[in-house]
Amino acid sequence: MISIAVSSQKGGVGKTTVSINLAHSFARAGVKTLLVDADPQGSVGLSLTRQSRLLAGFYDYLADPGIPLERLIVPTRLDTFSLVASGQASDYEAGGGGMGAHLARVRAFLRGASARGFDLCLIDTAAGLFGVTGDVIASSDAIMIPQQAEPLGIRSVPKLLEGLNRLRVMNPRLSVLGVCLTMVQNDLAESTEAAAALRQLLPPEMVFQTQIPRDGLFVRASARGLPIGVLEDGAGAQVVFDSLRAEIEAKLEPNSGHYVARG
Amino acid sequence: MDPIYPWLDPVEVRRLADRLMKPNREPAVTAADAGFGENFVGYATEQAPPILREEPPAAAKVVEPRIEPVVATPPSLPPPLPESPTSARGPFLDRIKRFRDWMHHNFGATGIFILDREGSVIFDESSHGRLHFLARSLALASRRPGASAGNVHVKIGAGATLEVIPIETAYGCLVLGAVVSESLSPASVTAVMDALAQVASPPPEA
Repeated sequence: MISIAVSSQKGGVGKTTVSINLAHSFARAGVKTLLVDADPQGSVGLSLTRQSRLLAGFYDYLADPGIPLERLIVPTRLDTFSLVASGQASDYEAGGGGMGAHLARVRAFLRGASARGFDLCLIDTAAGLFGVTGDVIASSDAIMIPQQAEPLGIRSVPKLLEGLNRLRVMNPRLSVLGVCLTMVQNDLAESTEAAAALRQLLPPEMVFQTQIPRDGLFVRASARGLPIGVLEDGAGAQVVFDSLRAEIEAKLEPNSGHYVARG
Repeated sequence: MDPIYPWLDPVEVRRLADRLMKPNREPAVTAADAGFGENFVGYATEQAPPILREEPPAAAKVVEPRIEPVVATPPSLPPPLPESPTSARGPFLDRIKRFRDWMHHNFGATGIFILDREGSVIFDESSHGRLHFLARSLALASRRPGASAGNVHVKIGAGATLEVIPIETAYGCLVLGAVVSESLSPASVTAVMDALAQVASPPPEA
């Protein structure tokens, strides 16, 4: 199994949208995928399951060693796609514990997911690179970073890189898949300029070619509690995430033993 | 006006990014190497209470020698010292060895090592070389913005805890790693920090 943290320095950059739709793309391709909501706001659960506020989830697992992983895994209509919600403990856990406090439980969670036959564990984290998010990154095989295409977001890149370099001391095997530009507005000069500036700033291999546009479809998909590809008119948007998936697959070492695509 | 570049240093950003994209040359810390076995219970970040400079240093206390086996349980306070590690000067290595003996006697430390701020080994008779990287990582991770690093400990096996104590000295920040049976109390950590800071202090001007 390979574990990928979807993380960013800044909030509101589209982590949850990327996580849900990317996980769905992998699952559609036959990869047995577990999407984990490690954001105390519980956005994945709120997006995809109406009863998410009743589900035990990731933060309950961190808080209570007695909870078996099976109790957390929520199947979907796609048999290769399962979820773990944020859980009930998230509210008080959000501010509790410094970096490293949950490392052992996060690693136990990932071992458990691997033992249950998942090929991919995609983890939607809270913004920032500290606390539980830091523990998730320090335990994952890889990280991808959604980055909103707007000037303020790009200015936060140095802090992001410093944080990732620090975390890589704790987790030397962490592979940085790259930065994915999100909410790109081709009709807005500031947005396209910010996207171009980021591409100029970072090494080419660090920025995904695929860009996620700002689109009303995402709002509609979220309102209906569905990945965008499931919408009647979502096929075009699904292509974007399939393209992102293909880029990630190309970056993952084919012989690493972590991940076997079944597509 | 350019909305991006005045806000950041492109050369520095590129350097950080290039470093991230390179395969890490640090030795991979596997679960076994790092001691993250089934017994690993996570880190505790316990900031030792501030050292009160107006108090006489522990090393200056005159105490009766104790003839006791190595303590099996963590002392809540450092017991009296049979010989202070800082009571006599001498070559640096000799002072460190006295400190090692003091750690062994008072806290049952089965091995200690000391790293400098670059992670280079200053002293190690612990035979726990594979814990150096873990200790440095823990020390880095325990840093708080605007504050000195606190001590952290991690259980590395049944009855064995690695205590990592970053200590500011005249030669910069040193990282002490000590394998003890159980984590040290905050008062003990303070005593250890004080003792090592004195051991690592330059000789007074004549």
